[in-house]
Amino acid sequence: MSTGSGPGAGHGGIGGSTALLDVRDLSVRFQRRGREALAVNSVTFTVQPRQTLAIVGESGSGKTVSCRAVMGLLPPAAQVTGSARFQGRELIGLSDADIRQHCGRDVAMVFQDPARSLNPTMRVGTQVTEAIRAHQPVSRRDARDRAIELMSLVRIPLPDRRFADYPHQFSGGMRQRLMIAIALACHPRLLIADEATTSLDVTTQAQIMDLLLDLQAQLGMALILISHDLGLAAAYTDDVIVMYAGGIVEQAPTRQLFSHVRMPYTQALLEAVPQLDRPAHSPLPVIGGRPPDPGAPLAGCPFAPRCPRARERCREDAPPLAEQEPGHYWACWFPCQDGGPG
Amino acid sequence: MAAEADVAPAGPRSRGPAGRAVLTSPALRLVARRLLLAIPVLWGVTLLTFVVMNLLPGNAAQEILGASATPAEVRALEIRLHLNEPFWIRYGHWLGGVLSGNLGSSFTSGQQVTSILAQRLPVTLELLLYAFLISVCVAVPVATAAARRPGGIADRLSMVASMAGLSIAPYVLGLVLIYIFAVRLRILPALGYESLSQGIAGNIRSLTLPAISLGLPIACFYTRLLRSDLVEQMQGEDYVVTARAKGIGPWQVLTRHALRNSLFGLITVIGLNLGTLIGAAVIIEQIFSLPGIGQVLLQSINNRDVIVVEAVVLVFAVIVVLASLAADLLYAVLDPRIRYGHSAA
Amino acid sequence: MATQLPDTLPPGGAPVPVSAPARRARRWTVDPEIVIPAAVLLVIIGACFVWPLVGPVPPPVGGSILNAGLPPFSPGHIFGTDPVGNDIFSRILYGGRVSIEVGLATQLIGIAVGGTVGCIAGYRGGVTDTAVMRVVDVLIAFPALVLALAIADGLGPSEVHVIWALSFFSIPAFARISRAATLRLQGQTFMLAARLSGTRGWRILLRHVAPNIMPQLVTFGLLGMGVAIILEGALSFLGLGIPDPGPSWGNMIALGQGTLSASPALVLIPSVFLFATVLSLNLLGDGLRAHWGAR
Repeated sequence: MSTGSGPGAGHGGIGGSTALLDVRDLSVRFQRRGREALAVNSVTFTVQPRQTLAIVGESGSGKTVSCRAVMGLLPPAAQVTGSARFQGRELIGLSDADIRQHCGRDVAMVFQDPARSLNPTMRVGTQVTEAIRAHQPVSRRDARDRAIELMSLVRIPLPDRRFADYPHQFSGGMRQRLMIAIALACHPRLLIADEATTSLDVTTQAQIMDLLLDLQAQLGMALILISHDLGLAAAYTDDVIVMYAGGIVEQAPTRQLFSHVRMPYTQALLEAVPQLDRPAHSPLPVIGGRPPDPGAPLAGCPFAPRCPRARERCREDAPPLAEQEPGHYWACWFPCQDGGPG
Repeated sequence: MAAEADVAPAGPRSRGPAGRAVLTSPALRLVARRLLLAIPVLWGVTLLTFVVMNLLPGNAAQEILGASATPAEVRALEIRLHLNEPFWIRYGHWLGGVLSGNLGSSFTSGQQVTSILAQRLPVTLELLLYAFLISVCVAVPVATAAARRPGGIADRLSMVASMAGLSIAPYVLGLVLIYIFAVRLRILPALGYESLSQGIAGNIRSLTLPAISLGLPIACFYTRLLRSDLVEQMQGEDYVVTARAKGIGPWQVLTRHALRNSLFGLITVIGLNLGTLIGAAVIIEQIFSLPGIGQVLLQSINNRDVIVVEAVVLVFAVIVVLASLAADLLYAVLDPRIRYGHSAA
Repeated sequence: MATQLPDTLPPGGAPVPVSAPARRARRWTVDPEIVIPAAVLLVIIGACFVWPLVGPVPPPVGGSILNAGLPPFSPGHIFGTDPVGNDIFSRILYGGRVSIEVGLATQLIGIAVGGTVGCIAGYRGGVTDTAVMRVVDVLIAFPALVLALAIADGLGPSEVHVIWALSFFSIPAFARISRAATLRLQGQTFMLAARLSGTRGWRILLRHVAPNIMPQLVTFGLLGMGVAIILEGALSFLGLGIPDPGPSWGNMIALGQGTLSASPALVLIPSVFLFATVLSLNLLGDGLRAHWGAR
């Protein structure tokens, strides 16, 4: 459940000097077949120390790309503009050597598919020690000891025996724990979990999420959860950002977002989650249509073609993201009112 | 998928350095199966050779005695060499001999085939090995350097060079090398072979130009293959992103992660390509006057010396089959997914 | 021998399979990596087959010994003459005909026979497949060179015999490739749809499988043509290909070997043409594969 965070709980737009991560007007462009695609459109948010933030959206919403831009993990073809400051230090535009300095050490990432994210031909222990020795000049023996510590921290049983095993000898959940161990190797201040539980079954998902939160409390990290799963966001985070078509469309403290949904898109996402109390055999509500092509941006609100509340103004004029209620931002001309969709 | 009851499973799972000794059933079964499959292939090859040699006009007796011999003399020799017996009987005899370890004797020289092989085979094998080493030692570093920056200068240059290199015929390359290094620069011998017993330096010198002629075009092929695979790994595979996210440098990501996985693909191709290498070696031996098995083959075909031809073909086929098998086996040993089996709890 | 390809193409991407009608709507974009080698090949082919018919080219054989050994750029003999007095330029052109004919013929036979056999084996699966592939394995394990040598030696060297011998080599190679390509296609939904709709086997093969594997076969064929040309050169070099005095790039090189130190041009000139032709074929094959694979 959402833990009370330290100072600066919930984000303000101008988190300022206390913010761990301060992202402003971050945009990412790709060249594809001569056309330019805008994958991330002027995204602004902050992350406070020890805060848990969820970034929610469907595939292609730009949630992964924006975080990878912060880590510096995008391919060279990507053009990144804007600012992302980590503890005051600008990350965008850093040289490769500087990016490597900070990757893994200040910010670490856990990826979606642990089966493919671990090198199949390298022993897991080596993969963990590699992460350690990338930033700390320790001997092999010390690195090995530290790796075993990390493996038990993420609750892998018999870590010293399993140190020399290969990834395929572990189950999916265990592999994800290994990924977490790798990410934690150098005590990052910020951990980004990119769909970290998506490829796991529900029970394992819960276990991994509990692990992540315990580790967060134990190590005092901030955590960004990237997901398409609103349930996850609701259950585990302090604050939520909803992204669509490369931009932020709603952001608020979790409680507030879910009790006072404003964006029709967020509303539709909520409704699309299967509920136990729906009448039997009723059709699942889906959001018709598809997200816009990032290479061919539309005028007006990007969600307008699919929005049940859209009117003329929506198609002509893109609504700005603004703090319409204290702590609660959204970008809509005709937001939902309390008490269900209007 | 059940919830994680990930207790270390009991059972014959190898672990750690000592585990290497336990090449349990999967690998051995693989070997056994492939060997069994190889036998009909080898049998087919020998049969085919016999058929082909048989279909050729003329026979060994005529070749030995020459054009001036009388029909009676030829007939007499034929009977002595058992050439008058029907096809199946002759093949049967030969096959029986092989299975009991006797490869027969040459029609022309009477020499035991096994001793011919013992004399000539090592030369060819040494040439092949040398060429192979050259090809790998060129391909791996060049491909890695090229893959470091796809589209960069090193990459483009090496791709152009390797495309040119693999378009050159080995025999042309051999002649060009002879012209440059033997005729003009005079630092390497054009012809002849020095055996190991005559000194290792001379031995290597005499094989250098032939090995380069053989190895360089193949090296170019491997370079392109490896570079392509490396780039694919670096751009497409998730574990590469994980590695980069750890903050390790691009060279290390390339060599410690991508290269490992790409070398597997290369091993298989190397095994498959050995047949071509052998064929090219025959011609190279001719150009450089190396007393290898290629020369023996050419002469024996000329002389209709079926026994020797069969033996050489059998040796070639065995080498090809074994190389293919060795590649598969190496794969099985090196790829931990096969070696340790799929034993996720 | 330049490199024999394994039973699948080196990575470069197989073309994305599409059902037959969808393939018809495809746009061509002009790509220098394809156009330049194609142009070079056309020039070479044109020169070898057309020029002797229209231009003043001296005969490739029967030259007078008085003319022997003229250096390049001599009047009337732009590449000079060989030790027997034949004009080298003319021999290059006629020799080129042989190379191209052999290269083309072996690959066409390979596609026709090997491609079909492999396709059927891949499609039918089961016993047919295993039986066919065993035979193919034997053929591939068989040092084809031996066969080529044997044929040439036994039947006498000639262009046709060389083609037979080298086809023995290309047929199993194509069989493997086309079988692998067919197998990859089997899993596609449209294949299943075609089978379920009751379409007869051979129609499926003809209308759906063949057009989809054709690009791979063509690419392999171009690369294989280069290999075949080099092999023909090798056989001729050994005296087992095109018989003297008929010109072939291979036997020209062999002839020049004796005078390598004195007049390297005799070896170099046919070598350059050999190289240029094979290089263009390789580049074209590569370019087409990249073009089709990146769709």
